[in-house]
Amino acid sequence: MALAEDHNLFESDATTSVPLADEAPVDTSYAGHAKHILDPGFHLTLRPMRYPVFYEMYRDAIKNTWTVEEIDFSDDLIDLDRKITPAERHLINRLVAFFATGDSIVSNNLVLNLYQHINAPEARMYLSRQLYEEALHVQFYLTLLDNYIPDVDEREQAFAAIDNIPSIAQKGDFLFKWMNSIGHLDQLRTRDHRRKFILNMICFAACIEGLFFYGAFAYVYFLRSKGLLNGLAAGTNWVFRDESAHMNFAFEVIETARVEEPELFDETMADSIRLMIEEAVDCEYAFAEDVLKEGVAGMSLRDMRQYLEFVADQRFSQLGLQPIFGSKNPFDFMELQDVQELANFFERTVSAYQVGVSGEVAFDEDF
Amino acid sequence: MTITESDRTGTETAGDGAASTMRVQKRDGRFEAVDLDKIVKAVQRCADGLSGVDPMRVATRTISGLSDGATTTELDELSIRTAAALIVSEPNYSRLAARLLSTFIDKEVQNQNVYSFSQSIELGHQQGLIGDRVLEFVHTHARKLNDAIDHEQNNLFEFFGLRTVYDRYLLRHPELRHVIETPQYFLMRVACGLSTSPEEAIGFYQLMSSLQYLPSSPTLFNSGTIHPQMSSCYLLDSPEDDLIAIYDRYTDVARLSKHAGGIGLAYHRVRSRGSLIRGTNGLSNGIIPWLKTLDSSVSAVNQGGKRKGAACVYLETWHADIEDFLELRDNTGDESRRAHNLNIANWVPDLFMERVEKDWQWSLFDPKKVPHLTDLFGDDFRRAYEEAEAQGLFERQIPARTLYSRMMRTLAQTGNGWMTWKDASNNKSNQTGQPGNVIHLSNLCTEILEVTSNDETAVCNLGSVNLGRLVRVADDGSRHFDFERLGEVVRTAVPYLDTVVDNNFYPTPEAAASNARWRPVGLGLMGLQDVFFQLGMPFDSEEARTLSTRISEEIYYWALSTSCDLSMKHGAHAAFGETKAAQGILQFDLWEGAQVSDVERWEMLKDRIRQHGLRNSLMIAIAPTATIASIAGCHECIEPQVSNLFKRETLSGEFLQINRYLVRELQTLGLWDDDMANAVKRAEGSIQNIAGIPEDLKLLYRTAWEVPMRSLIDMAAGRGAFIDQSQSLNLFMESPTIGKLSSMYVHAWKAGLKTTYYLRSRPATRINQATTGTQTRPGSPSPSPTPEPTPTKSFSDAETLACSLENPDACEACD
Repeated sequence: MALAEDHNLFESDATTSVPLADEAPVDTSYAGHAKHILDPGFHLTLRPMRYPVFYEMYRDAIKNTWTVEEIDFSDDLIDLDRKITPAERHLINRLVAFFATGDSIVSNNLVLNLYQHINAPEARMYLSRQLYEEALHVQFYLTLLDNYIPDVDEREQAFAAIDNIPSIAQKGDFLFKWMNSIGHLDQLRTRDHRRKFILNMICFAACIEGLFFYGAFAYVYFLRSKGLLNGLAAGTNWVFRDESAHMNFAFEVIETARVEEPELFDETMADSIRLMIEEAVDCEYAFAEDVLKEGVAGMSLRDMRQYLEFVADQRFSQLGLQPIFGSKNPFDFMELQDVQELANFFERTVSAYQVGVSGEVAFDEDF
Repeated sequence: MTITESDRTGTETAGDGAASTMRVQKRDGRFEAVDLDKIVKAVQRCADGLSGVDPMRVATRTISGLSDGATTTELDELSIRTAAALIVSEPNYSRLAARLLSTFIDKEVQNQNVYSFSQSIELGHQQGLIGDRVLEFVHTHARKLNDAIDHEQNNLFEFFGLRTVYDRYLLRHPELRHVIETPQYFLMRVACGLSTSPEEAIGFYQLMSSLQYLPSSPTLFNSGTIHPQMSSCYLLDSPEDDLIAIYDRYTDVARLSKHAGGIGLAYHRVRSRGSLIRGTNGLSNGIIPWLKTLDSSVSAVNQGGKRKGAACVYLETWHADIEDFLELRDNTGDESRRAHNLNIANWVPDLFMERVEKDWQWSLFDPKKVPHLTDLFGDDFRRAYEEAEAQGLFERQIPARTLYSRMMRTLAQTGNGWMTWKDASNNKSNQTGQPGNVIHLSNLCTEILEVTSNDETAVCNLGSVNLGRLVRVADDGSRHFDFERLGEVVRTAVPYLDTVVDNNFYPTPEAAASNARWRPVGLGLMGLQDVFFQLGMPFDSEEARTLSTRISEEIYYWALSTSCDLSMKHGAHAAFGETKAAQGILQFDLWEGAQVSDVERWEMLKDRIRQHGLRNSLMIAIAPTATIASIAGCHECIEPQVSNLFKRETLSGEFLQINRYLVRELQTLGLWDDDMANAVKRAEGSIQNIAGIPEDLKLLYRTAWEVPMRSLIDMAAGRGAFIDQSQSLNLFMESPTIGKLSSMYVHAWKAGLKTTYYLRSRPATRINQATTGTQTRPGSPSPSPTPEPTPTKSFSDAETLACSLENPDACEACD
């Protein structure tokens, strides 16, 4: 990530620029181009490229193309049949119910709220790619649910989770609150608009992708640490890799906005972020209470709380805010996610190989 | 972290308080309050003699993960996982976890009223798992065999090894699914399946339980059972260009892979796309639809629930469908022309490599028009190819470099499309001493090279010496490699490999026919990297290469010598007269410039071989050893370490592995602590950019990504002179380009290698680290506060990136 820890968004050189009233329109003229990334409009020129970092992110994303067809769910079905305890079954049902709609919400927000306001063609290339990846994730979870829940009625129930299951509905409410906050804006003309936009982006990067999904991944990796549901874990690995990239992109946009308009990041904004992330932690904890309510050995509710706080602290650090929980990661199996893996092709397919290789035949290069 | 830190910072009750209210459910269904003391004591018993481990820490962490009403089995499992997860802070936690698991397994076995080896065999026989012969053998010698069981040997296991044994190798009750043998019973069962006297069985058991040698997985799975299919590899010639022959081959493949064999299959003889089908006056769709069917067929075969079938298809470079073939593993394009489960390999003639160098055209043929090409190699092939070309029989021509570049791209994108060389493989084989004996392909892991035809399916059974256990420390503290013991291990192991040839269950008559004629075996090695770590030799050093070559020479010498002894006892293999060894030509005679360390010794052996023959036509093959190296707790075969810190993903979950040699050295220097562990983790297992680590350690503990591949190839070529089959040589390149790859594979070809295996590269982007407390990419520049965003370096840039190696594949059939 480009946002290093020592980098504080809120102790920037904000004081050097002339303060403007928050409601006043921002000066957006700059030699015929957008001056800031959040200036309204549809900038089309790629050369000279203003933000090559986004173009590189776009290219790297393409190298990590995967398809749902590569994932083998056959062992999962055997696990579900024979190895899962009722408490774990409940956990899995809740989890897939969350996944069923989670990525669709992200896609919608991307199209309806983010794309139009990020005014750089190279960044929009990345967003287009991200949109495809979100669709891929939706396809993955669709295929997963079709496989995991053979009963048609039960399956429809799972897809309706956002309405039916209170712990998921609560997450939904939280999301829609932030989504709708800028739904009516078609241009970010004032600082207030821009702050709202940034909060929306933080909500999606830090709370949904960076907290709700991190919570969900923890359940998946917990199961895998017990050797269960390798198909789910294989797909999740790829989803996790994509989500990491999405989050990095979003933080890079926020950082770009900060560099361009430091005055956006004031104390009020910091307070809003704190409130938002705290609320997200509570939401995800309420979900955990539901998911773990039947008691799953190796994953206590208390550890889950601590894990969520730990993850939230990381998001605070990334945003240049002081961590507020001071919690350590309690899950050994999440530490495993930070480590290179070495597996066996009898068991799982390869996710490491790159798509897109360049160059010409040569005989004297170093190797 | 200390124990106190592991107390929860959260709002609820901390560690001990929770314990008093928490209950566990015992095996008989009764509930009981969790007793911290009891757990601590149980852990303490297993921690005896292990430095640096803290039983209290394991116990408190275990309890914190527990939910109310968990079963005692869940509690046991949790304590094992908890101990195993602490491996980074102190590698001895791996041993502790292994011992806890060992106790757990003992309980499970005893719960079925099995208290001795012979009882385990009896129960296995009752349940229809153990064969009659072994039951009778064990029954007759019960006391001797039971007495020989040494449970202390369990202490040699690292956690991951024992976990693997428990999850996959121990025989289970068919209905209850409980294991019915302990790890030591299991090894004794394997030994008994291959022995005719208790002395033999005990000798072999002791060799295996010392972890100095292990036979391949199929032997471990199946020896002594009712289905003693103990061979690892089957190599099937291409089906004839005929519908029935193609379908018959699917059946063969299914039969052979059912019992844990890995399949190599050639497809050189099947006509290419657009070829006329006389019977129907239609045009052929070429080989791709057939391979698609093979793909489905292979993945449908589940090897006794232990793993899925696996196969590698070989295609000659002149086959007109070669370009479609190279796209089989792509994850884009027409799904009906993709085969995600098949491995693919190129069977490349020298002529092609030469034309790549010269930048000439390459002609692609329909095998229907040139059916003889696949049965020729060397100058005969060259003449026949050029003649066919001159006659204009080719379907089309393309620049050789275009095709070569396509091959390189497939390697970079999929890791697959292995480069194996037809001429080197045939010219340097003991089996090709007479015309008509031709090697048409290698196997699933590119270490087996044996003659095939329509009547002969080549078979090989494998085993590997664990070199990592053969380094000795002298009284003065100096270390040396124990060549004497190496000789003993080889002399003990070879007769068992040979016995497998006789005792094996052959699923097809073609396989039985071939094995009777050639009796090939594949003795390999593992833990070479462990030797280098123990002796302080960097992987690319001159001394490492010399030692590696010397070890392989010694293994080859004693393997041949033992095979000659066996020949004196039981007679030479039927086709001995057709081999080069019969003419006094051994492997190193076929390698340009190869030298032996003791000429006289070899001359005497050659005389002996001429006089008494050999029991086996082939002796040596270095398999990837993925799983058996895990069991033995060493690095895989001839490979440099992939990382100082990585995890293994298997059907039984994920496990952390750390380079214990490195940790010991850093502990000695007082450098190993949480910060250092986190630094290694952040750098994804590399220590090259960590401040404070001495340069000599950095040199020694490089990873496969950091060792020059040239040295790896040259080392492989050095030992190649003593490998009569081949070696599974993986090559590693973090960010491959066509230029680098084409240079590398041309060098490998020129060095005389017969085969190469996977190309391993790393993903372009990676998952954010969740727990190291920072999201900064190692080595990446901090963001600049200037108004224009600074272009940060690309994720795929080798210098800035340390991303995760995910799922490099390895063949287990060949272990």
